[in-house]
Amino acid sequence: MNIRGVFIEDTFAEGFSMAAARVVITAASSKWSRAAALKLTGFATSIIACKCEAAIERELTPDETPDGRPGISVLLFAVNAEGVKRRLVERIGSTVLTCPTTSCFDGLPDATDRVLVGRALAAFGDKFQSSTVVGGQRYWRVPVMEGEFLLQESFGVQKKAVGGGNFLILAEDAPSALAAAEAAVEVMDGMPGIILPFPGGVVRSGSKVGSRGYQSMTASTNDSYCPTLRLTTGSALVEGVNAVLEIVIDGLDADAIIRALRAGIEAACRPGVRTIAAGNYGGNLGPFRFPLRQIMAGGC
Amino acid sequence: MSGEPVLRRGVAIVDTFAEAFGMRAARVLITARSNAWARTAAQSMTGFATSVIGCKVEAGIEAELLPKETPDGRPGVSVLLFGFDADGLRGRLVDRVGQTVLTCPTTACFDGLPEATERVIVGGALRHFGDKYQASKVVDGQRYWRIPVMEGEFLVQEAFGVQRAIGGGNFLILAADQDAALAAAEAAVEVMRKVRGVVLPFPGGIVRAGSKVGAKRYKTMIASTNDAYCPTLRGRTDVTSELPEGVNSVLEIVVDGLDRPAIESALRAGIDAACRPGVIQISAGNYGGKLGKHHFQLHTLLAEASA
Amino acid sequence: MSDVVTVSLRAPLTDPLQVEGLTADRVAGLSECEIAALPASLGARQARLGDFFDVKGERSDRLRVVGALKHVHGVAAGMAGGELVIDGDGGQGVAQGMTGGLVVVCGDVGADAARAMIAGTLVVFGRTGARPGRGSRRGSIVALGGIDMPVTYWCACTYEPPHVRLLLTYLRRRYGLNVEDQMIGGRYRRHCGDAGDPGRGEILEWVG
Repeated sequence: MNIRGVFIEDTFAEGFSMAAARVVITAASSKWSRAAALKLTGFATSIIACKCEAAIERELTPDETPDGRPGISVLLFAVNAEGVKRRLVERIGSTVLTCPTTSCFDGLPDATDRVLVGRALAAFGDKFQSSTVVGGQRYWRVPVMEGEFLLQESFGVQKKAVGGGNFLILAEDAPSALAAAEAAVEVMDGMPGIILPFPGGVVRSGSKVGSRGYQSMTASTNDSYCPTLRLTTGSALVEGVNAVLEIVIDGLDADAIIRALRAGIEAACRPGVRTIAAGNYGGNLGPFRFPLRQIMAGGC
Repeated sequence: MSGEPVLRRGVAIVDTFAEAFGMRAARVLITARSNAWARTAAQSMTGFATSVIGCKVEAGIEAELLPKETPDGRPGVSVLLFGFDADGLRGRLVDRVGQTVLTCPTTACFDGLPEATERVIVGGALRHFGDKYQASKVVDGQRYWRIPVMEGEFLVQEAFGVQRAIGGGNFLILAADQDAALAAAEAAVEVMRKVRGVVLPFPGGIVRAGSKVGAKRYKTMIASTNDAYCPTLRGRTDVTSELPEGVNSVLEIVVDGLDRPAIESALRAGIDAACRPGVIQISAGNYGGKLGKHHFQLHTLLAEASA
Repeated sequence: MSDVVTVSLRAPLTDPLQVEGLTADRVAGLSECEIAALPASLGARQARLGDFFDVKGERSDRLRVVGALKHVHGVAAGMAGGELVIDGDGGQGVAQGMTGGLVVVCGDVGADAARAMIAGTLVVFGRTGARPGRGSRRGSIVALGGIDMPVTYWCACTYEPPHVRLLLTYLRRRYGLNVEDQMIGGRYRRHCGDAGDPGRGEILEWVG
């Protein structure tokens, strides 16, 4: 299969089960909701070292937020619901509670599984906090020096969320790979239900499971895709490929990831790109499969 | 402290001091193909890093760097990280550079404290990601690791300097209302960000939820809301409010810095910028001088400025 | 089960009518007939709610009370949950002894509103009458149209309460109430009381 001269490999991305929450941050202006969201989602690229994966999902207009102010939604993924709760408590407590003018709400109102993040954080109020119920939901009012921090008590958890959707861009040189990756990120940015947890949405250092040189490492460089190792190791790269970049996608469900993959791959098929591939573990580790050709053909 | 408050543009500067702590700091230079990519890596690196207590490290972006200021002549950003000790800081550097700079397209990563005598191994730890395919080069007496990655190579310096530093410099803006407090704080942050050697670890540089040590009503909490400065709690019999008449909102600016002069510059510039209409008082947070050994007297700071 | 229960006063009253049990949580468990059978007394005469009001809907914890209600007293007294909107002026003793939920008065409200309130929120768009929140333990009164502040309450601060913004935005969206932007984003003087307790009751007075 070829899209504008770019070869789409007959392979699949392997995705994993994760638990996810959506956090809605509103503030006096989008500058402030963004400042909180950036601090909330930093150092959250990979569950293994960061304990969670998180990023900004999209900007929200006043009509889309509970308190009618501009806002930002963030998706946060962890191994399970308990992990989601802990990460939300620590991160919201450090970065949203402390950020001027913000309020913090749940973004998964229909989720049946809930974690009581707001109640745990409200204890910062040293028993001076109070709560109020609006529209059947409880919100905590935490007294702070600025005034009050308003935080929803219960956050929904999507237990069947998916992590690790991905595709690889194999290009003639690094600038072409980057231009293609940037084009893909631009169309995927703001698509609902997904995030791209790596910096700028792009991974330049894809990894493989374990390592051949060291006994105790859980992950190491994916050497069969490293252009400088093309003749040193069993390479998956043909001559002419001099740079590879990866886009990793986490989503609330498989459909959201499929839509994002389709849009992203389409945008990445540009001059200088030779092949689009994907990372998987033979299908043995994760329950989800995203077959590239079927997705691009409009199937799935 | 029983001195008279000094006035600056109608704002009363309370005769008190900020109490800050001895810490260790590292400076990381991130270069990239563009300022935008360097900043992206830096933002990811410094997220979730507002307070050592909750996040294990405090970090912020110090400055944007011109090509001539960086080791490889590309645009870049410098980041400062603060921790309690060198070993802890080393662990945080390895984690954060590994997760947010190594992974970020086009970046390279260098030490920004070449004079520091204490060194910690960062690139030397990250090299293992190269699965024995990595190689090193020595340039001008410094070792750098070239780690093979899908994009090409990630270049990272082997050792980073760690130096004694100061965390928790601060001042409080007590204002007539939320808008005035925020405008003053934003003006302060804008000038403080131009000072080298300091970072403001909180979101947008400002803390809206200052805390006190421990809690009155919960036995095991490490920190809780600073009720003496909470406007909605004023007048309660169980709260001893520090808020003068007319103050309805308080914001705090916290600054971490490499040394005393850097923090003094930042505080002086920030306090001056914050003395604006709607601000009633400038004060500072301390623990009676008992916990942190670095004290910044507000009156002394401002007197030095006019000297 | 309906979305909202609506009780509408059929004809204006000249004498005071005391109602009992007209709360959102109570009607949540009642059929239309049972709601109409709630007690109401006109002076000494015992009667039923249905003698004065048309009732539409049942078994919902959202209740709208419509009509010229200045002479209807005790609406929402003892309410424990749900949402009750008075589409007009309210009488005396609205929401007294309330323990939870939300009561909204679109017009003025009479004396002794939220007296001995234990918890919950009372929002008054018009003017709040005499002696509001007397003996209140923990509830909130949001006074948008002017209020005579009881001397037993003290002023903590003036600020922009985020929960009021949330609440008013909700009322605008859910009930179509005509809420001004300047109230949603406005500043409120926070008064705490009632004296004697640590003062966990509050009155939030809109100041613009």
